[in-house]
Order: sequence, then C-alpha cells, then structure tokens
Amino acid sequence: MADKRKRRRADADSDDESARLPFKNRLKPDSAIISILETLTEATKSASTSKTLTLSDLNLASTCREVTDLTLSSVQTEIQALAISLAKSILAGNGFSFSVPSRAATNQLYVPELDRIVLKDKTSVRPYASVSTVRKTTITARILSLIHQLSLKNIHVTKRDLFYTDVKLFQDQTQSDAVLDDVSCILGCTRSSLNVVAAEKGVVVGRLIFSDNGDMIDCTKMGMGGKAIPPNIDRVGDMSSDALFILLVEKDAAYMRLAEDRFYNRFPCIIVTAKGQPDVATRLFLRKMKMELKLPVLALVDSDPYGLKILSVYGSGSKNMSYDSANLTTPDIKWLGVRPSDLDKYKIPEQCRLPMTEQDIKTGKDLLEEDFVKKNPGWVEELNIMVKSKQKAEIQALSTFGFQYLSEVYLPLKLQQQDWL
Amino acid sequence: MMRFNIFIYASPPCARVTLYHSLIHSVAVENTSRLSKPLIWADQRISPMDSGESSEESPVQTKKGKSKTPRKPKASTLKQKSPAEFFAENKNIAGFDNPGKSLYTTVRELVENALDSAESIAELPLVEVTIEEINRSKFNSMIGLIDRERIDEALYGDFETVKAREKRLAKEARFQEIQAKNSALGKKVKEPTAGKAMKGRGEASFYRVTCKDNGRGMPHDDIPNMFGRVLSGTKYGLKQTRGKFGLGAKMALIWSKMSTGLPIEISSSMNGQSYTTFCRLDIDIHRNIPHIHLHEKRNDKDPWHGAEIQVVIEGNWTTYRSKILHYMRQMAVITPYAQFMFRFIADTPDKNVSIRFARRTDVMPAVPLETKYHPSAVDLLLIKRLIGETSKQHLLQFLQHEFVNIGKAHAERLIGEMGPDFSSKTPVNSLTSQQIVRMHQLFRQAKFDDPSGDCLSPAGEYNLRLGIIKELQPEMVATYTASAQVFEGHPFIVEAGVSLGGKDVKQGLNIFRFANRIPLLFEQGADVVTRTAMKRINWNSYKINQTQDKIGVFVSIVSTKIPFKGTGKEYIGDDISEIANAVKTSIKQCCVQLKSKIVKKIQAREQQERKRNLSKYISDATGAIYSVLKEASQLHANKKKRLEIKDEDAELLEKVSDRLITKEMLSEKLAQHVEQVDYEMAMEYATQSGVREEPRENIYLQALDPQKNFMDFQTPVFVFRLFQ
Repeated sequence: MADKRKRRRADADSDDESARLPFKNRLKPDSAIISILETLTEATKSASTSKTLTLSDLNLASTCREVTDLTLSSVQTEIQALAISLAKSILAGNGFSFSVPSRAATNQLYVPELDRIVLKDKTSVRPYASVSTVRKTTITARILSLIHQLSLKNIHVTKRDLFYTDVKLFQDQTQSDAVLDDVSCILGCTRSSLNVVAAEKGVVVGRLIFSDNGDMIDCTKMGMGGKAIPPNIDRVGDMSSDALFILLVEKDAAYMRLAEDRFYNRFPCIIVTAKGQPDVATRLFLRKMKMELKLPVLALVDSDPYGLKILSVYGSGSKNMSYDSANLTTPDIKWLGVRPSDLDKYKIPEQCRLPMTEQDIKTGKDLLEEDFVKKNPGWVEELNIMVKSKQKAEIQALSTFGFQYLSEVYLPLKLQQQDWL
Repeated sequence: MMRFNIFIYASPPCARVTLYHSLIHSVAVENTSRLSKPLIWADQRISPMDSGESSEESPVQTKKGKSKTPRKPKASTLKQKSPAEFFAENKNIAGFDNPGKSLYTTVRELVENALDSAESIAELPLVEVTIEEINRSKFNSMIGLIDRERIDEALYGDFETVKAREKRLAKEARFQEIQAKNSALGKKVKEPTAGKAMKGRGEASFYRVTCKDNGRGMPHDDIPNMFGRVLSGTKYGLKQTRGKFGLGAKMALIWSKMSTGLPIEISSSMNGQSYTTFCRLDIDIHRNIPHIHLHEKRNDKDPWHGAEIQVVIEGNWTTYRSKILHYMRQMAVITPYAQFMFRFIADTPDKNVSIRFARRTDVMPAVPLETKYHPSAVDLLLIKRLIGETSKQHLLQFLQHEFVNIGKAHAERLIGEMGPDFSSKTPVNSLTSQQIVRMHQLFRQAKFDDPSGDCLSPAGEYNLRLGIIKELQPEMVATYTASAQVFEGHPFIVEAGVSLGGKDVKQGLNIFRFANRIPLLFEQGADVVTRTAMKRINWNSYKINQTQDKIGVFVSIVSTKIPFKGTGKEYIGDDISEIANAVKTSIKQCCVQLKSKIVKKIQAREQQERKRNLSKYISDATGAIYSVLKEASQLHANKKKRLEIKDEDAELLEKVSDRLITKEMLSEKLAQHVEQVDYEMAMEYATQSGVREEPRENIYLQALDPQKNFMDFQTPVFVFRLFQ
C-alpha cells in the first residue's frame, strides 16, 4: 500500500525531519485526525438533509431570473418559436431585436439566504438596426441557428467548435462565447442544455467512483493525474465514495503533490482542482458530489485576493454565470488554507512571501465590500490581515520546509485542529 | 582658459543677458589685477565705495566696483582678453560649433534681429533671407577684389594639391570605367555623386547670407559700434527677448572673420531719412572695436526703412539644409504676422530652394515690457549692480522702486526685519558687503507676491493657432494659454497647441518647441516638452493614437529668463516641476478640446458608414433565422401531429415549406427596415448638429495698402469695394 510506504519513510526520517519541519511533533496519529474528520462528515450529512432553498421560497422568483435544465426538444421548440417571432417581425417591416437579460454587475444580486449571486430581471434590447448592436444581434441569430442544429442532431460540440463554424462572423472566440451565455439567458436554460461544452479543464482524484457515459470510473485507480472531469455533466452518474471530505485545490501544482503522495489514502478524501478559475464543468461536478455524497468541502487556495475570489466562485457563483447560480454553486465550502493568518502561524519565512501590488490591494479591498465575504466574519478578518500586512503567499510557499511539507504536516495539522472557516 | 569656464558654471544665476557680459568684463579686469585669487572671491571683496565710479559707464556693464583703468600687469605673461576674443575662442557657446551649425546660427541671428527690429516700430515684419553658395573660384575672385590677394594658392588649405588632383582624377577615371562597364552590361548606372567627387579633402564651402528687413533701421553713426563691438547692444535689461546671447550679428561677423576674412556689409535706412547708410566693416577681435572699411551715405531712390545685412561665411548647406528649413518653418508658425522669403541659390540651378512663408494675420503681440527684478530672483552680484545703478538715495526708496512687488509698507517691514543696522534712510551706497548679504538672505527667505506676467509677450493663442493652420494645414487644431506662473522669481507663460493631421507631418508625435518665440531645434530628447508629450500624456484617453496619428505638439514658453540647460541654450530641462506641470496641463487642455471634436468626427463617420455597416450583416442574420425556420418547417411537415405551436405560427412554417417565404424575402424586408432606420437617424443627426455639410472655415484676406484707389458701392447689407 502506498500510504504505508509513505508513512514508513516519514518515520525513518523523523529524527532530523522533526527539527526541520516545524510543528510536525504536534501531529497526533492519523487515526485521531480521521476520527475528528468523521465527526465533521457526520455533522455535514445530518445538516444537509434539510431542503435547499430556492428563489420562489424567498418570493424572489418574479424579480430574479434563473435558468433550468431544459430537454433538447424544448430547447428546439424555444428556438423555433423565437425564430418564428423574429421572422414575423421582419416581415412586418419592423426589423428584429432580441431581449437579452443583462449580465452587467448592476444587475446582480447576492441573496444571503441562498448564499449565492442571482441575476435580477433587467433586460436590454438588442435591435438589429443599430450600429452598436448590429454585429452582436447577427451573432446571436447565428448561434441560435447553430444550437438549433445541435438539438436536431443531438450531438455535443465544444465552444471552440462553435466558434469555428463561422470564424469570419465571430472574429474571436470571446465574442461567440459571450453570446452563448446570452443565448442561455434568452432561452432560460442552462448552458449544458445547449449541448455546448467547454474543453476539459478540471481533474479529480481520490476515493470516488462514478459512471461516465456508462463506464465505471474508480478515481483511486486513475494514475497520478487523476480523472478529467467530463465537460458534460449529464454523462456523470452513480457516484459513490467512502471519503470523509472533499478537498478543493486551487492550483495544479498542489494537486499534483497531494495526488502523488496519495494523500487521499492517508485521509480518505476526494481531491478536485480546476487549475485556477473554475470552469462550468468542475463547478457542476463539485456541486453534484456535494449534493449526492453530502461530504464537507474544504478549500486550499493561495493566500491572495484571487484565491478567495476563486473560492467565492465555487461557493457563490460568478457574476458572468449568475443566471445559472442555482446549478453551479456549492454551498458551505470551508476555507482551510492557506490563510493570511497562517503565514505567521506556520512561520512562513519572509523570503517566501510576496508583497502585494497596488492591483492586489485594490482587489482585496473590493472583496471586503462584497456581500459573500461579509457574511463570514472569519473571512473578513483574514482579508483584513492580508490587506493590512500587504503580503501574499502561494500554496507553494509551504515548500520552503520541503516539498512534502504540505501533505506531511500542514494539511494534517490543519485538519487535526479543525482550522477552517 | 580653464578659469573662464569655472567661472561660468560657478556663477550664481543672474539675468541671462548680463551673465556673459559681466563675466567677460570681470575676466578682463581681474586678469590685470588679482591674478592669484580665484575670480569668484575677487568679486565679493568689492567695497561699496568703488561702485560709484563705474556707474558712468554704459548701463549694460555690471557694477563690479572696480576701476576700469588698466593697471600695470604684475606678471609679464599676463594678457588681457577682449570679449570678442573670448567668443572667438568659445564660439560653440554661441552656437557656432561647426561650419554647418554656424550657417544655421547666422541665419537665425539675422532673422531674429530683423523681427525684433520690425516689431520695435510695430511694423508687420517682412524678412528676406538669401543664402548664396559661393564656389571656390568665385570666392577666390572675391578675395582677389580686396587687398589681400592670394599669390601662392598652394599655400592655402583649400587649395587642391597636384597629388590630390591626380588622386581624384584617377578615382574619377576609375569610376567612369566601372560605369562604362556597368552600362555595357546593362546594369543600372549609379548617379555620380557630384558633390563629393568635385571637392578635395578639407575644402570648405562658402555662403553669402543676406537678410533684409523692414524694421527700424539703424542710426548712421551707431552702425559701426552695433556690429563691431561685442557685448554692446540695445537689448540688455530684464525683459523677454528673442536673442539667446545678445550677440546677434556680431558673432556672425566674428565667424566670417575667422572663416573667410570678408567684412560684413550693412545697408540701412530709417524712417524719414533721405539717404541709405552703407557700411562695410569687420571687427578687430583683440581690441573689440570695429574696423571700418567704408561708411557712407548714399542717396535713396525709393524711401525705405530697415536694414540689409550681408555676410560671407563658411558653412555647410548639405548637412544643415533641413535644420535651416525647419527653423524657417517653425518661425513662420510662431510668427504668423511676419512674411518670410527664403531663398537658396546654389551653384547649380537645380538645387535652388525658394520658399515663401506668407503672412496670415496682421495682429502682432505687444512688445514685451522691461521690468524690474523680483526680490527672489536676485543674487548678490545683481543687488550690487542695482545699488550702483539706482538713482534712489535711501534704502526704502531703493527697495520700493528697484524691485517689483515691494510696496512702501512692505519695504518698511523688510527693513525692520533686516536688523538694527538698517533704517529707511540708510543711503544705499553706504551699505557694506555684509549688509548686502543680509539683504540677500532676507530676499531668499521672505514671502513676496509672485511677479505678474504682464511684462511678457506670448505669441497668443490666436497667432499660434493661425501659425499652425498656415504652415501645417492640419485637420484639427486646439490651442491653450496657461496663466502666468513663476519660477525663481521670473514669470513665465506656457502656450500650447496640438494639431492632428496636416501636410508634411510624419506619423506619431511631432514636437515644436519655442522659447521666447524662437524655435528650439537641437537637443530635443531631454527637453521638458518632449518628455512631457512622450511620457506624461495618455493620448489614448483623448482618442488620439500616439503612433498612428499625425500629431503636432507646439509648446511656446515665454519668460524674462528661460531656464535653459546646457551651454548651447537649446533645451529646457525636465527637472523644473513648475514648468513641467504647466506644459502638461496646457497640452492636456488642448487634448480635451480636441477630444470633443474627434468624437464628433467619429460620429460623423459613423453617420456615413451606418447604412453600410447595417447592411453588411443582413444576409448573415436572415440566413440564420431562415435556416431555423426551414428546419422547423421540415419537422412540422413530417410530424403533423405536433400541435405545440400556434396556428398562425404553423401557417408561417407552411409558407416557408411552400417557398412563399424565402430568405431573399426576409433580407429584402430587413433591408427596407435598415433604410428606414438610417433615414430616421440621419434626420435626427441633422437636427442635432445642424444641416451643414462640412465645417466652415474662415478665410483670411490680406489687408491692402491704404493708398490704393477704390470705389465703394454701398448697400444696406454690405459694401462692395472696387479697386482700381
């Protein structure tokens, strides 16, 4: 067993290592830590039995906009109905226009009860006969017709495929991608319902078994790199796990370290990363795991404003995709590390800390104004420490005490002390 | 020589025009008397009692308190150096670094003198500059005309030795051979580089520079001294002046004496004089006195006023051609009320240049006023000089009348602050050196109101704008004049203009710098204007593309003392925050004005392109919609049972499948809609911005001579004037 080998080696080196690795001597035996985690998992399971709130529960359904998963045929009908109405408008000599829900920052609302960002009901008209919108309107019409074709043929394509169907019109992929989100909003369906997926980005490894398009996947047997999270969440089913928690990692490097050290075998867990800003598929996957397995989610991100931002995207949703926040967000994510207070607590040497740039400090201060930060006093406190000390550190800063310090000491100690917010 | 230089840099800042003068003067004096002491110390040991003696000398001379009678040299090797000699040896500080630059500086000194002269009698300047190339044989024959004839030509440096000629001829023969070979082989024949092949090594080119103006002219008797004596002039005193050194044509004369030995020729006539003064003279450099060849009155055929100065110098037209032309062009920008005629007459007629810079306005800026010193701008030397010059007896009066911004009450408070040794009635010429130092200290520390900019004469936004329009013909231009500000007790005014587009303007930033209304052409990189325009202006935010657009940046700074950097006085340093900020604000203000124009222009362009842009996507948009319709209609036809859609929608789909509704039909309808929207928006735009097609521009009609005969045809609306 890998974990046994690992532990044996750690024991052999313990004499000099305990001197070199600070706080290692404070670690209790793994079994003690696991029992702590077990209580956490139990608590999470019992807590999450209560029904999740929806917009209609809060009487916000009329003022807020939310999309749902639609079947292919209903997407098809929606597009046809839209096309017919557009054609009618043209034939009547009125040109045509789309009514697009605004995804601007002013049209976003953080609902504390739901702990996520939702889209308000403001819409903007996108007429064809206006110099500023003619291009976007045409692209919207084009994307609609492409989605219609997908729905007829019942196939999935990537965003890149979509872009390449008419490069001349779309010019660059950001334009077709943005319009794709608009189309989701117009039709009132999730992006996955449009049969358009992004390229695989996220990876998962650890104590998880699920079926991908009918094939059973055991994530402990996926090698070091883990299993790529399927871009199409519909393919994923039959999740089962004996893990005690889900560990969300911001960076690929930290993920690799944990995967290689088989951290999930020492402490039964599932490790997920989206390698930076999370894509839709990873967020959907995390939510699905959380909902089906009812495991606590612990996050390991950089100690900088962007780390917290990524955390918030998993937790409360991004502004760009707020129309689908109900499906994309995972409630109750705990901030395990690396937190600004850890820098001093774990005596991270000065040379591994970086000074924050003007931009960083500004982002940090802006975050302090955000509702999803304010709701958690612990986060506010941590962010205040960061902005005040004007120092940031990446997860890799822990490597100063050895590459394996993260998996050998830092994480176990954090878990043992239940040091999450 | 070393000592001169040390003195120049160590001397505290004082009025620019007096700097060189006082320096030369003191050099002359100190060398005869106190050779062992450093000069700078010698100056401070002046006792106030001496100062009276020197006051009878010309007011331009500094009051060093030293008697000017030459004393017996204490050392036999000691030599006295005349100012003319000093400048002859240090001609680079006056801009005569090399033949090319000397030609340029000669032109500019003559042009600036001409402008000053015309402006001093409020006459619209008319300046004609001619540079005539003189080839060697012609030059030799010119020299032959005067008494110093060349007998042994081989002695001279510009004489082509037999060896050199052989070499050249051999080279030319070789060249011709190669050419013949090339042409035989059908290769493109290279143009023979005539200029190079014709000249031997070290051969100089000579030019006759003539500058004629319609200015005041010069009094008959003063002419020899005005040209033949360095550091005598009419322009000394604290005011905004064009000249950078106060040397004017004298330096050109020294240069001509050094390079060609030919004298300067001056013709001049003043208003109301019935004769023209003709004077041919050169300068005795050692004694700093004119050496007159001919000085006579000639009868005028036509009454005129002004001066014509002709000097033959060594120069280099090929390398300084563009600089001289740039100078003329920039001068025309900043002086649009003047008319310039520039001619270059070459050996070969194909190289002739003739440019006329027409007058564009007849509004001249006011003549700058002479002003008094601001207390924060004086140094010890200057205070002593003022004490020597003043007609006031008592300290109170002295403070009150010899400085700006000191009123009577203020002067009394200052005297009280100076200490018990001072009182209002203290005679100024009894002040000791220590007391003067005390006064100077107080001037440095005390608070004074800033001097006003009234004594300055900026070009004026109106003239700057016209100048830019006249010479660059830009698509748009904006100008701005900042209010007067102060640096070290000297007021300054910054004016700026920014233009976009135009002829002969390269892409990117084109910087035009002016100091006291003369163009600065050299050492552009370190200049405050260049730095500001390049680094501190965010052109993008004004919708100006720094690399693509043709941007003209014009900044004119006028001051009683321009804080030049470097010996050549060619640029203003970037380290003076007052000036840097004023320049930045002025350029920004111009950009703000331009931005609204640019935005309007973009709107107008959108207006024109709207229909095209809207029509461009018709086929894409209708194609997309139609394809959905088509697919839907096929589905609809296949599965009749699908009744999810409304009847009228089903009807439409049936029409699609029956080809009653086609893509072309949709396109046509959409095109009609676009047409209609375009029409509506054009109407809206027209009502907002007025119906005029193009922006109108005022045209300038030049004023005619009043003597012309004309006849008026009056109507209640206008007068029609017929000239005969």
